[in-house]
Amino acid sequence: MYSKEIQKKLKDLGVEIGDSVRVKRGDQVYEGILMPKEELGDSNAIVVKLSNGYAIGIKFEGAELEKLSGHRQIGFKSSDEKIKHIAGKPLISIISTGGTVASRVDYTTGGVQASYNASDLVSIVPELGSFNINSKFLFSMMSEDMTAEHWKEMAKAVYKELKTDTSGIIVTHGTDTMHFSTAALSFMLKDLNKPVVFTGSQRSSDRGSSDSFINMICSANFASKSDVAEVSLVMHGSSNDDFCYAHRGTKVRKLHTSKRDAFKSVNDEPLAKIFPDGKIEMTNCNYRKRCDGEVSLDDKLEEKVALIKTYPGMDPGIFDFYIGKKFKGFVIEGTGLGHVPTTIEGRSVIPKIREATKAGIPVCITSQCLFGRVHDFVYANLRKEFEAGAMFCGDMLPEVAYVKLMHVLAHSKDLEEIRKMMLTNIAGELNERTPVFEL
Amino acid sequence: MKCGIEIHQRLATEKKLFCGCSAQPSEDKPIATVERMQRAVAGELGDVDLAALHEYSRGRKYRYQIFPQTTCLVELDEEPPHSMNGEALEIAVEVCLLLNSKVVDEVEVMRKTVIDGSNTSGFQRTSIIGLGGFIETSKGRVGIEAICLEEESSGIVGEKAGEITYRLDRLGIPLVEIATSPDIKDAKHAREVAEKLGMILRATGKVQRGIGTIRQDINISVPEGARVEVKGAQELGLIETIVDKEVRRQEKLVKIKGELEKRFGKKRFEKPAVVEVTEIFKNSASKLLRKECLLAMKLTNFAGLLGEELYENRRLGTELSDYAVAKAGVGGIIHSDEKLEKYPISGEEVGRLREKIGAGAHDAFVLVAGDRKTCMRALEAVCERVLQAFEGPQNEVRKVLPDGGTSYMRPMPGSARLYPETDVPPIEISRKWVEGIKLPEMPEERKARLLKILNEELAEKIMLSENYPLFEKVVGELKVEAKFVATTLEETLVSLRREGVPVEKLNENKLMELFIEYKCGKFVKAAIPEILRRVSKNTGESISSAVEKLKLEKMGEAELRKIVEEKKKAGVSSKTLIQEIMREHRLRVDAEELSKVI
Ligand SMILES: [Zn+2]
Repeated sequence: MYSKEIQKKLKDLGVEIGDSVRVKRGDQVYEGILMPKEELGDSNAIVVKLSNGYAIGIKFEGAELEKLSGHRQIGFKSSDEKIKHIAGKPLISIISTGGTVASRVDYTTGGVQASYNASDLVSIVPELGSFNINSKFLFSMMSEDMTAEHWKEMAKAVYKELKTDTSGIIVTHGTDTMHFSTAALSFMLKDLNKPVVFTGSQRSSDRGSSDSFINMICSANFASKSDVAEVSLVMHGSSNDDFCYAHRGTKVRKLHTSKRDAFKSVNDEPLAKIFPDGKIEMTNCNYRKRCDGEVSLDDKLEEKVALIKTYPGMDPGIFDFYIGKKFKGFVIEGTGLGHVPTTIEGRSVIPKIREATKAGIPVCITSQCLFGRVHDFVYANLRKEFEAGAMFCGDMLPEVAYVKLMHVLAHSKDLEEIRKMMLTNIAGELNERTPVFEL
Repeated sequence: MKCGIEIHQRLATEKKLFCGCSAQPSEDKPIATVERMQRAVAGELGDVDLAALHEYSRGRKYRYQIFPQTTCLVELDEEPPHSMNGEALEIAVEVCLLLNSKVVDEVEVMRKTVIDGSNTSGFQRTSIIGLGGFIETSKGRVGIEAICLEEESSGIVGEKAGEITYRLDRLGIPLVEIATSPDIKDAKHAREVAEKLGMILRATGKVQRGIGTIRQDINISVPEGARVEVKGAQELGLIETIVDKEVRRQEKLVKIKGELEKRFGKKRFEKPAVVEVTEIFKNSASKLLRKECLLAMKLTNFAGLLGEELYENRRLGTELSDYAVAKAGVGGIIHSDEKLEKYPISGEEVGRLREKIGAGAHDAFVLVAGDRKTCMRALEAVCERVLQAFEGPQNEVRKVLPDGGTSYMRPMPGSARLYPETDVPPIEISRKWVEGIKLPEMPEERKARLLKILNEELAEKIMLSENYPLFEKVVGELKVEAKFVATTLEETLVSLRREGVPVEKLNENKLMELFIEYKCGKFVKAAIPEILRRVSKNTGESISSAVEKLKLEKMGEAELRKIVEEKKKAGVSSKTLIQEIMREHRLRVDAEELSKVI
């Protein structure tokens, strides 16, 4: 943002962002378009985009500003054009919730905006032109800001689309918490009959090298052609632009901050390999098939669940904090096979597990190793944890256990029933066997 | 004529512009590759950039080579850029000051769309550091328009069907770009300006040396001509030729336009029909023509024009061919103004061809061979270029050929190519910091000063040499005689390198050690090549140990006296005494000292 002083001066001169201006400072004269100032940089320097396309910052102090004729529309204007559906093309639904996949850039400011109407989408990814598209704008959220409320709205929107004659649904999403959302929808959409595919991008689509094009194309193909009636996540399968993986929504995690292939299947094989030319190669034969059955929506969630990571030197008092705030359930991200600090008095988490369990608050154990399963017996300390009442969640990912516990607590208050539900597979989140090789 | 140049110079920083990788391109073999696609994206105002679209239409895949020390996730476009390298920024500001350019108050990093695949991201990061400025030349002042700091692109390794391979070691090395105003008067002047800018850059002592570290682009237009950017001149010696040939090319194209106006008057040139002529050449003596498909096109009223020479070895026909090559990927085209015997094509075949496409004596024709789709695209490109002949020269980017001629590369990019790089925050430039930057001596001043202690030849060699800072240190701090230091650094080392001695392994410290030991009287000047030969191959060894191992210690006065006495006893005349001793002990005896002893 520009400083108050600059803002006032601009107002007095009737100059708006996007206007052509002349700036004189000393013996230097600059002409160009007045640019907005983002949150970074010197708020006392005005930014002007010169006729050669470059922008420069000019200190405002001692500068003279003059408005010239000419104004550039700043910000991207979405197309009003409606695309008619053409018989014979497969129908897909695209629900946009945010993120930079299929986004447009405002080439004046560099700002990126999500697109959501069908003609915008096709203008960005022309390959989508071979589909009939129902596009829905749900919200434009940074994925780190999402809450259980957003998952519910997403689930409702997807449920509504599932009731149409669409062949599959794509949900565009910011990447950071996409795997929480896929887990949430996996539990909330019962008896799925069509593919529900989440996708996003690690590089925004203003650049020719964006992963977003291939992610969108592969998602569209997977949503329309595959017979996988599950919630899946489709993103780049490698650092090359060669194929995408479809990961099961409950067995996937973002494992890199920035790479194209940041998402990996954990403790499960990916469902399929999808190539940009439309070819789909199944890599996992264990999945729910497309069917004519009725899908149902079960969007109740208990939000007072905490995900707690244990680490050397942690203060067990954190549990008291949450219990004091009337939390109804805990998921612990333990170390190794699911350990928590056990033997040193005052540092041990075991009494907290016992207290919580006695109070009817379930304590679920997962591992911060992510890969592999937890175990309640192989070490004495694990046995103590188990005896205190902890529920060991097999090979379930911590984030998935967190979402599942929210779902389970919304359906039962009985600790034994909760234990049974947590340890029974609902949506592919629990596997009996661990694959030998990671794909 | 209007002419300006753009100089691109790699900076000798430790690290790259936006990541922690080494800025020294690697000599190693690649350890892996990644494969990527790139596509044209909408530009400013929603239009896809023309230049970008052109590259996209060629539908390529890109393979990028990864090197251990010079590639990280930033080069792979798998991690956002780090903040801008301060060392590079300081050098760029220094260049601005040397060229009288005004440094901006805040640097805004931009993305410049590049879609030939040479940047993994699809854009090059670039920013204006200085605006305005000038240099003085023999033909008056030449203005500077802008000085930018940007990322070097990847180096091309090779190209095969639909796939280009690039190496990532070069990508992201800091590059200073200096663009002059179109103030250059003629071809010779262009060379002078390029030379002068190169000297000023080297005067900073902070630029990379060697092949490919500096490149010139030349913008040329003649009256009634067009703006043409000639890319990638690496040799200064070629600049005059490039300018000269491009001026002639444009002037000739203006003449051809005039000729076409005369021939056509008010008639319009109709887009010619494409005719299949495969049958005519079914039994051709030319292997080139025995292809799946041969297509031909009549160019009404063009007889003789395709053969018009623009400059040596370039005709209008060559320009048509360039288009077909660049846009359709064919090897070339055949046209009626060529010596058709060379293919060979017989007179009878030409007759049948002309008959089939209805080409009379005033008409020219163009013929292409290959698969049908490629041939169609090639003729479309030819047709596009033919229509342009009616308008004269076109705004375009051309690439330099080895003989200083040029060939068509792509259309001139529109202004849609730049938009803000939102991953890098703007950088405030403090006036105080700029004022505190110590500027190097300018070439003229340095030369004048050196001429007091060196002859002209040595002064010119050392003044812009990479070894200049070491020269200053040795002469200034050790007080070693300047001529000797310059000779050692600029002549002895060079002749050793020619012999194949790996002198590039000798760093500044090692050479400093050499001069220190010399100053202490450990050895004589004549011993230096021997010593350097040894330590180049074994840089771990100290200079003094090398001298001892080689038994090259300078002879002490006592030893010298003893030899003189012996020689005298043996009856050597005092006339030949010095000569004889020097002949036998040249590497260990200082002639001056010897004459003192005698
Ligand atoms: Zn790097």
